[in-house]
Amino acid sequence: MTKIAIAEPSSMLRIGLEQMLRELPEAEIIFSTDNLNSLYSRINAIRPDVLIVNPLLFDYAKRATLRAEFEQLSNLRLVGLVSSYLESQHQRQFAGIIELNDDFQRIKSTIHQVVNTIHADDEEADTAPLSDREKDVLVCLSKGLKNNEIADQLNISVHTVITHRKNIVRKTGIKSVAALTVYAILNNLIEEKDII
Amino acid sequence: MNNFSDLSSRLSPKMKMADAINQYHSLLTVLPRLGIPLGFGEKSVEQLCEEHRVSLPLFTLIARVYCLEDYFPTANELQQCRMSDILQYLVHSHKDYLENKLPHIEHHLNTLLEPMDRKYSTLITNFYAEFRKEVEKHFRYEEEVIFPYLRQFISEEEATESASYQKSTFHQQHDDIEDTLNDLINLLLKYIPAEISPAERVDMLLDMYAFSNDIAKHSMMEDRILVPYIQLLESKRHD
Repeated sequence: MTKIAIAEPSSMLRIGLEQMLRELPEAEIIFSTDNLNSLYSRINAIRPDVLIVNPLLFDYAKRATLRAEFEQLSNLRLVGLVSSYLESQHQRQFAGIIELNDDFQRIKSTIHQVVNTIHADDEEADTAPLSDREKDVLVCLSKGLKNNEIADQLNISVHTVITHRKNIVRKTGIKSVAALTVYAILNNLIEEKDII
Repeated sequence: MNNFSDLSSRLSPKMKMADAINQYHSLLTVLPRLGIPLGFGEKSVEQLCEEHRVSLPLFTLIARVYCLEDYFPTANELQQCRMSDILQYLVHSHKDYLENKLPHIEHHLNTLLEPMDRKYSTLITNFYAEFRKEVEKHFRYEEEVIFPYLRQFISEEEATESASYQKSTFHQQHDDIEDTLNDLINLLLKYIPAEISPAERVDMLLDMYAFSNDIAKHSMMEDRILVPYIQLLESKRHD
């Protein structure tokens, strides 16, 4: 289910859009507002996947840097609900644009496209098993080594170690070193006696 | 303005309790913590709250946070509840986790790991023991440090210092508990060999998902009720 939030000052537009989106089986409207204050106060708690927002809600100066307004939500997709002329460099910040004249089919396909980019990211390489290098890093982690020590031992940069760690967490779904150690032993990557 | 006009009609005081629970199963964990037993026949939410001396605004508030993803209480809804009642509910939840949920999971875990090589099963039971200690420590900290502080904060006429700084502490620790629980779920789901207690494992995982969901709601109570409540009190004092 894709969680959608809407921020649009005109109630006519907002309610109309909500009505249309309710007909999309994969989308769920979790929040809808006519002002920025309530959007800001709640967006970090409700964490929508898609925010459909009218750029007119923002001061002109901020419209060029909308992305930065929501930088804490790195996976959030922005869709512009454009009710008046919007400069093209402002348009580029949006994963999709809905215009006033768009018919239902068009809106549907815009939302579909945006939603598909979310799932494409989710699935990328997720089903691959751990690579040999990732296993090496995992073994070092289980032995209690720190990032810089792992980098030295494997002759790679600390930055690369961090990338490997992110991939390990993403693939296994396990975050803590303690649980990753259990994983390493269960998969015979390491013997219990090797752990300090 | 939140535009869900049907929000107030969902989970209204006039609703039959049985209907509410049939629709929102997670209410089942809430009732015992408020002292409302099952077997209530056709009684409404309102009737049962009165019968068991539970504040109706409090019940409505908790039930909505548990059941409605998009629900954030208004200032008015918050003000109808007493902070001491909210804290009492949280303390009862802690007790329920420590005395019922966690021992149940532990017992279940030990049984299902029995067919496994001792060398491996102790890894998981040790991991669980660490998790349990972490949870106990966190609850103790809330009950011995944060809650008394909040009780004092609401009883004082003039606040001497801000209470909001507590909210980041809250949040981080709850996230840690949810993460560790999630790690345990993934170990059981993905990495224990297929032949180890397949049926028990399914039951165990269902219990753990329910527990994880409950803990998430518990932390939502603090994010969506406790913290806004304190901010509300603070802003009033500044006026």
